[in-house]
Amino acid sequence: MTLAIHWRLDPAADRQRSEPGLQPPLPDFIRDRRAANRNRFDYYVQVAEAAAQTAFDGLFIRHRIQSDESRIIAAVVARAVPRLHIIPEFPASVGSAVYAAKQATTFQRGTQGRLGWAIAPDADHIGRERESDPLGDEELSERLDEFLTVARGVHEQRPFSFKGRYFEVQNGGFEAPLTRFAFPRVYLQGEDDEALALSARHADVHLFRPATAAELADSVARLGELAAAEGRRVAAGLIQPLLTRGDAGQAADDASGQTLPPGALVGSYDQAAEQLARHADAGIAEFVLSAAPGLEEAYRTGQEVLPRLRALTARARKAA
Amino acid sequence: MTIDFYWRLPTHGCHNSIRTSGYERGDWSPLASGNIAPGLDAGGEPDGFAYIDHLAEIAKAAEAVGFQGGLIPSFPNTDDPWVISSLLARETKSFRFMIAFQPGFGNPVHTARAAASLQRATGGRLLFNIITGGGGPAQLWWGDSFAHDDRYGRTSEFLDIFRGIWESSAFSYDGRFYQLRNGGLPSLLRQEEFPEIWFSGSSDAALQTAARHADYYLSWLEPFDQLGDKFARVKERTAALGGEQKCAVRVDLVARATEEEAWRDIRAGFENVSEETRQRWRGQATDSIGAARQAALRPSDARHYDELIVAPNLWGGFNLLRGGPALGIVGSYEQCAAQLDELIARGADAFILAGTPHLEEAYRVGEEVLPLLGRETASLLQAAE
Repeated sequence: MTLAIHWRLDPAADRQRSEPGLQPPLPDFIRDRRAANRNRFDYYVQVAEAAAQTAFDGLFIRHRIQSDESRIIAAVVARAVPRLHIIPEFPASVGSAVYAAKQATTFQRGTQGRLGWAIAPDADHIGRERESDPLGDEELSERLDEFLTVARGVHEQRPFSFKGRYFEVQNGGFEAPLTRFAFPRVYLQGEDDEALALSARHADVHLFRPATAAELADSVARLGELAAAEGRRVAAGLIQPLLTRGDAGQAADDASGQTLPPGALVGSYDQAAEQLARHADAGIAEFVLSAAPGLEEAYRTGQEVLPRLRALTARARKAA
Repeated sequence: MTIDFYWRLPTHGCHNSIRTSGYERGDWSPLASGNIAPGLDAGGEPDGFAYIDHLAEIAKAAEAVGFQGGLIPSFPNTDDPWVISSLLARETKSFRFMIAFQPGFGNPVHTARAAASLQRATGGRLLFNIITGGGGPAQLWWGDSFAHDDRYGRTSEFLDIFRGIWESSAFSYDGRFYQLRNGGLPSLLRQEEFPEIWFSGSSDAALQTAARHADYYLSWLEPFDQLGDKFARVKERTAALGGEQKCAVRVDLVARATEEEAWRDIRAGFENVSEETRQRWRGQATDSIGAARQAALRPSDARHYDELIVAPNLWGGFNLLRGGPALGIVGSYEQCAAQLDELIARGADAFILAGTPHLEEAYRVGEEVLPLLGRETASLLQAAE
């Protein structure tokens, strides 16, 4: 099995990067030639370029309401950076499932089929009130189910009709040439059984949170059972924050000075590659890796950890 | 006072000529030798280009000859304007992206955040043509089951929120269609300019909503007297509400060095229209008032192109040649310029022009027609100041 390894862009991180209003001024005696019209979109493109040049397979773009919208970023970087798969994350509250699916067809047609869809967890109740999303907690899973049923339905069937609680379509469905490329690969998340059951019906990849290899092996098995019951196969993925350095001591020192995301993998390049390879052995087929700052760490991870990880998994494949 | 000229990005492929019906640009017709974006390589396989590559060419042509930007229409079988604008953001310099959008298709908060992000990605080059929907089977195709007048109410509330969260970090709203509490765009995004809103729709419900929200009231070309009256009515109504409404018209042109040459192209194009195309135009169901007005011209029943000449240099069969509105301008460069001058005299403050093929015609209209505009217009605009 070939691994797919993605870098995660966080549009709300590295806030001052390329953002004129947030950068400290230079001393007066330095002639400031920075363009006034630059902003973080320049930085997003740079991170994507870094991920492409260091042989990541894709760029995963986090859903962050305090920053730029992930699907806009996705199309901007896709046009600027060749080859890379682009996976924007967004919630099912964005609006019409038909419209979202139709936008996906244009993205696919314009990028030779490089789009993935990661569905973000919904905001909490207060967050949803801010976003004009009137649903109660107990309705969210059903809406997501309908959203994905309709989005895939209009892409893959014609005529397509559907009448649910949240979405209704009559005599819908896309025609050629909009359907020339496949529906985007769907990434879902969540640890509970309801999330896994939803993935079994709709996901191409289910993304797990960091855990031990043994725990991941259990989760992967559970996902596999549920998917098999639906007559489907769903790949397992892992969202894994990193702090890697040339040696373990340095990594531990750097880690002690900052707040890391839960489950962050701290260690040398060799240790990180070995642990990720164990996760791959446990059944993880796609990794979404992240570290801060996004640009420098994309280079570090791409140049130091990925070659080691790919060598280990290739060796394991050969042995098998 | 100035007049803004926009071009159009054809989002359903483009033809090599106004005379032909096949889509040789893009993949809306079966790929054949001679097709572009995508084309076929020496081995007969798609060459790796996509239709967006051709749209990029048109956008660059339009900005090079002085168009402000272009309208990017959205219909069931077109590419999508949001994605087109995002893809082309960084390879155009001044081109303004006019996204045709039906508010019912997006959550207002999410859509505003996407719009502000696109403003950031383009350096403030986004604007909207807000559409409230033709209705009929097409609305249900889109997954929208709202009735005509409800849709205008929804559009109005959507735009209230859109503007509200752009201007405040804690905006609350309790409408019939939308409610929110303490919504607001993040400060970085709120710094962006609020996009200009162009509004379409000919019904009373549409005019009311436009008066409240629109910077420009956009109409298809109609017979000039009728259009002049409509613009006057829109401007009066908005003035009565204490606002100021600019008016815009979208119109296709066939502009050639001589009038004879222009009519020759129209005639050849008309004679190439298939019976199937005529039938399709006869059978369209809609609750859009504007569309019904255009259908009253009955272009699909004409047997000869000159039956559709409704006034000098005004032809009512464009929809048969390339979809969209029926009425357009045909003539020499000077005549086309004079017609545009006449529309300015009747209250047009801005234009969305188009011609087929969109790439070459952007250069032709930009280089040959626009520079001829205006001896009368210039004095008219001066007098207004």
